[in-house]
Amino acid sequence: MLAQQLANGVLLGATYALFALGFTLMFGVLRVINLVYGFYFTAGAFFSLWLAQAGWPLIAALPAAAVGAGVVAVALDWLLLTRLRRAHADELASLMVTLGAVLALYAAATAWLGPDIRRLPPDLVGGGAVDAIGVRVTFAQLLILAACGALVGLLVLLVRGTTLGLAIRAMAEKPDAAALMGIDTARLAALVSFISGSLAGAGGVLIGLNFNAIHPYMGEQMMLRGFVVVIVGGLGDIFGALLAGLLLGVVEVLTAGYLASGLKEAVGFAILVLVLWTRPAGLFGRADARRA
Amino acid sequence: MEAWLDDLFWTYQNLVVSLGINGLLALSMYVVLAAGQLSLGQAAFMGLGAYSSVLMTLAWGWPFWLVLPASCVAPVAFALAVGGPTLRLSGVYLAIATIGMGEVLRAIYLNVDALGGALGLSGIPEQASPLLIYAVLAAALAVLWLVGRSGLGRAMEAMREDATAAEATGVDVRRMRLGVLVASAVLAGLAGALSAHATDFIGPNDYGFEPAVTILSFALLGGVGSPFGPVLGASVLTLLPEVFRDFANLRLVFNGIVIVLAVLFLPRGLLAWRMPRRAA
Amino acid sequence: MRRRAALVAAVLLAVAPAALAAEPVPVGAVEILSGPNAAYGIAIKAGLDLALDAVNAKGVLGGRPIALTVEDSGGTKDGAINAARKLIGRDKVVALIGPTLSNEMFAVGPVTNARGVPTIGTSTTAQGITDIGPFIFRTSLPESDVLPVTLKKAIARGAKTIALLYANDDAFSKSGFDTMQAAARAAGLRIVATESFGSKDTDFSAQLTKIKSLNPDAIGISALVEPISGVMLQARQLGLGKETLFIGGNGANSPKLGQIAGAAADGMLVGSPWFVAKPDRLNQDFVTAFRAKYGKEPDQFAAQAYDAMLILAEAIDRAGVAEPAKIRDALLATDHTGPMGPFHFTDHRDPSSTEGVVVLEMHGGAFRIAD
Repeated sequence: MLAQQLANGVLLGATYALFALGFTLMFGVLRVINLVYGFYFTAGAFFSLWLAQAGWPLIAALPAAAVGAGVVAVALDWLLLTRLRRAHADELASLMVTLGAVLALYAAATAWLGPDIRRLPPDLVGGGAVDAIGVRVTFAQLLILAACGALVGLLVLLVRGTTLGLAIRAMAEKPDAAALMGIDTARLAALVSFISGSLAGAGGVLIGLNFNAIHPYMGEQMMLRGFVVVIVGGLGDIFGALLAGLLLGVVEVLTAGYLASGLKEAVGFAILVLVLWTRPAGLFGRADARRA
Repeated sequence: MEAWLDDLFWTYQNLVVSLGINGLLALSMYVVLAAGQLSLGQAAFMGLGAYSSVLMTLAWGWPFWLVLPASCVAPVAFALAVGGPTLRLSGVYLAIATIGMGEVLRAIYLNVDALGGALGLSGIPEQASPLLIYAVLAAALAVLWLVGRSGLGRAMEAMREDATAAEATGVDVRRMRLGVLVASAVLAGLAGALSAHATDFIGPNDYGFEPAVTILSFALLGGVGSPFGPVLGASVLTLLPEVFRDFANLRLVFNGIVIVLAVLFLPRGLLAWRMPRRAA
Repeated sequence: MRRRAALVAAVLLAVAPAALAAEPVPVGAVEILSGPNAAYGIAIKAGLDLALDAVNAKGVLGGRPIALTVEDSGGTKDGAINAARKLIGRDKVVALIGPTLSNEMFAVGPVTNARGVPTIGTSTTAQGITDIGPFIFRTSLPESDVLPVTLKKAIARGAKTIALLYANDDAFSKSGFDTMQAAARAAGLRIVATESFGSKDTDFSAQLTKIKSLNPDAIGISALVEPISGVMLQARQLGLGKETLFIGGNGANSPKLGQIAGAAADGMLVGSPWFVAKPDRLNQDFVTAFRAKYGKEPDQFAAQAYDAMLILAEAIDRAGVAEPAKIRDALLATDHTGPMGPFHFTDHRDPSSTEGVVVLEMHGGAFRIAD
């Protein structure tokens, strides 16, 4: 049973990491708690649903939905946050504006699409599963695992290996200095929004596929876990998000499997609070002056 | 009283009560924001006040005049216990840590049978009259007004502008932070006890993440230049859903849009006025 | 004051029935029409509106139409209280249907009961609902009446051990679990595990893996339909097959189970006071009318709401006057037959008969009567 539980934990953790990748990027670079992030997740899932219903195969629907969610993210970021960024408003203002926006967006989506849970066409991914050494893993779960690894790899390549990545890191460290050095921070912010939104969208598709439930509020339900992963992993730290996601998944599953299932949710928050108390730079992170 | 007036009051009694309670919660948010802290533990404090007061009433049979002040004990104890390590954090980290603590408390309410689990606690006698609620609100406003005009208020404002600079001018930032957290816990605890004794029923989901951000939005919408701003913000956000009632499922949409527009175009809040202060 | 006004109205009605015949009787409903749980309120509103069409075709109290105002609670306690107070205080409704969730009823019930307005829950199945007071009714069968019937079927199929799984953060699911636990003990089933989850969770793998390792004959689940569907999908992913009997509480009794979980939900047993394919004419007429009006299948919530509206309309007629206290008394004398079957209230204002309970089994993504 332990092997299966560990596998469960890793797979659950992969969904958390997948959700948190774009969140940590947006949070780390743009320095906003963007509560709308969960909505990009919802948007991606719905785009893929519509495309799949129109007969697109998953291989095409997934990137298209991710791009769609990215575009939504850029549009909303421009609409809500450019003004505040230009005015150098504090993080409270951006928190509030995204709070208001996400309230309106979920409600509008529910009014328009209805609150019902939808499912992707069942033949999108084969319903099969792999059975080995007493551990069962489905194809959808393997897909999430693979996608999670691939996206982390691509992101790290982008941030560490390109000039664009250098500009992004510069903006994350010191936005004003970056602007002085000739980086067009507004355009860069739009780009980061696009990447984060696409990641959220891709996460929405894959997680929607795995749990087979797509509905307007699905993004909201991931947000609290997203906070835990981003903070425990260290702000803007992509590897950190991956590790923290996996850790959270495994800890939750082991808590539910061997301790008490009622504590499954609380254990993540307890970890969050403990990490903030003892290692505010994140479990794997470097020191970050902004925290203390 | 005229019958129609009676009916009118009865219809809006819960709204009147909510306005008062939410005003108190907004003030509980205000005291931390006024000192430059983004602590989102108000809903958690409120829950502690509500649950502890209901236990005092239902299990121990205490009279309400004793229950009300005693309802501050649990939230204040919690604030003191978690305050030390938590207050080293600032900005969004503090916000997220306090939300995390709120969720841990929610898990406790859900898993402890004596607290009713998901069924919550019901059959609470309605002992908190609107008059009492508004008296507490008025008292809180008066105290905060006086404190705001005093040297303490100046120190808080200095902390809000720049904590390091404030420290350099001799403000004991650590003690101040803990102080405002305790004040926030007292106000939220009172609000919790009053609301529990005004509606007959409390449940674990009334004090989670969503209420926490709602309370924040009260204060920010109103503006934190004076204690009146948050109360105004709370009133507006409490009334909006009722005003938009006829829009049925679109009313949350309007609610959200109002918040967005207010933040974008009224950055100092609805009530930008800052309270006058005697010269130093 | 109110009573005198009503008396005057009654006298006037007797003197000049023609003049007042068309004055509508105001009735209110508080349901969740917005937010994450809106699906339930919307189904209920559909049922109420359909019943209203039938009622208003001939009217009550000699031809007066019922004017139904449905207010949104948003699923929150305050929202539900505000809505109920607005309906009673401003719209002067003589009776209230709803609210949707048991949690909301625990907040609204004391208010309406103190005001003396009969309040009929159509979807509130938790324990203690009608204990709130003499004006609180419900037409939804409490779980404690349905589950023993379902468990009996499971035992007949050879179940001796059971694992229980429930959502621990909403009143409906928790109360359903308490009932399931008691019913399982009473039926002599051995409970091998008790696991919980959050009603917004999407991952149940840890709990299911643990249960699977204990190898129970049956697994009983108390939750709303969304998490139950998720549980079924994941149970199949983890390789729990047909040898395990799945038993759903009232929340599983929704066509959404098949829509979300598909064939993964096959074999699940659910006790229900109502079934879409129940062959009697009243039910088939209801289903046909519902399909014609809304273009989709009704669910249990719509059916219960439909009957509740008819029961209320009949009670108003029997009361002879649109006055809350009279309607309350008339409700107690309910003798109604509708899509749900024959219906009476007990002295404690709960549904009296469990005869209508059928045990359903999921098959190919839809319910059929279990054999």
